[in-house]
Amino acid sequence: MNAPNPPYVPLSQAAWYRRGLRASAALPAVILAATFIGIGSVCADYGMPLAWALLATLLIWAGPAHLILVGGLGSGASWVALALTVGLSSVRLLPMVVSLLPYLRLKDRHPLIAALCAHMVAISIWVEGLRLLPQVDAEGRVPFFLGLGTGLLASAVGSTAVGYGLAGIIPNAFAAGLLFLTPIFFLLSLFTTARMLSDRLAIGIGFFGLLLASLAGDGLELLYAGLGGGTLAYALGRIRRARAVS
Amino acid sequence: MTLIGSDLTPYLALILLGVLPTEIWRWLALVVGRGLDESSEILVWVRAVATATLAAVVAKLAFFPAGALAALPLGWRAGAFVAGLAAYFLGRKSVLFGVLAAEAVIVGSAWWLGVR
Repeated sequence: MNAPNPPYVPLSQAAWYRRGLRASAALPAVILAATFIGIGSVCADYGMPLAWALLATLLIWAGPAHLILVGGLGSGASWVALALTVGLSSVRLLPMVVSLLPYLRLKDRHPLIAALCAHMVAISIWVEGLRLLPQVDAEGRVPFFLGLGTGLLASAVGSTAVGYGLAGIIPNAFAAGLLFLTPIFFLLSLFTTARMLSDRLAIGIGFFGLLLASLAGDGLELLYAGLGGGTLAYALGRIRRARAVS
Repeated sequence: MTLIGSDLTPYLALILLGVLPTEIWRWLALVVGRGLDESSEILVWVRAVATATLAAVVAKLAFFPAGALAALPLGWRAGAFVAGLAAYFLGRKSVLFGVLAAEAVIVGSAWWLGVR
């Protein structure tokens, strides 16, 4: 790093970006594409304009939030309740971004680049980032990550358009299958990324808690199951850790 | 004006109800995340809340679904979770196996029941 003329030519930032772009062509991109075909067709079913569907994929960049927003707008839910529900469904992004920060080393980068990297974070790139970034040279990580994100975003936006065009043409049995991709992929990803007892407890408490909390019928079931259930899982995990120590 | 208003309403809703409530967590992570130790208690709690919320979202998407999934009886949707989890754990935690097994149950049962 200090030598004015390094003995080898390190990869340029553009070359790292292209490597990231190439790395995006893998299984997560396939699942992602199928997922967004389903989401695109739901957007069309609810009568949203195509441009809206594409912008939603690009700017929200979170499948569950996207689906909740379309479904809520379609069923005429109140805006405050909808913003709250979407917000809760996206809390997961906070710990996901935080856990990627040590790999990205953003402190020397422009804040806009940091914001762009943070925007790219979603479940697919998070799983891929944690897997691939350790193999990338420190100075190449940001462009690599941006390339990876560009590839996944492009795949998702293109698939949204395809799904939008296919709405009403895809047999419903397949449309149902595409819509089930998000829940099953996210659920299994939760098991893959769960590290502590509290994480594993949170999966079960959140899942069954939602079914229980929806009986209240006040539209706040995600708050009860997520914030309440997650805190309960944390408390149980902490009690267990304290017992293990003593 | 009304026409313009009604045309722009979905986009306003997209920004206010979709983009901001999602993006705020990514920005917040940049603000609070630097120097936050990954094993700190606050982050363990945040991760538990995030995990529980996502699991709740999964249940919401499957049991209170939008679109074609709603036409499939609830028992089959629950069965797809069981099949997916069983394949995931039997297949040495392979996400691909789990997804394929669950999808086989959804598409197969929907086809068989005539959800077309």
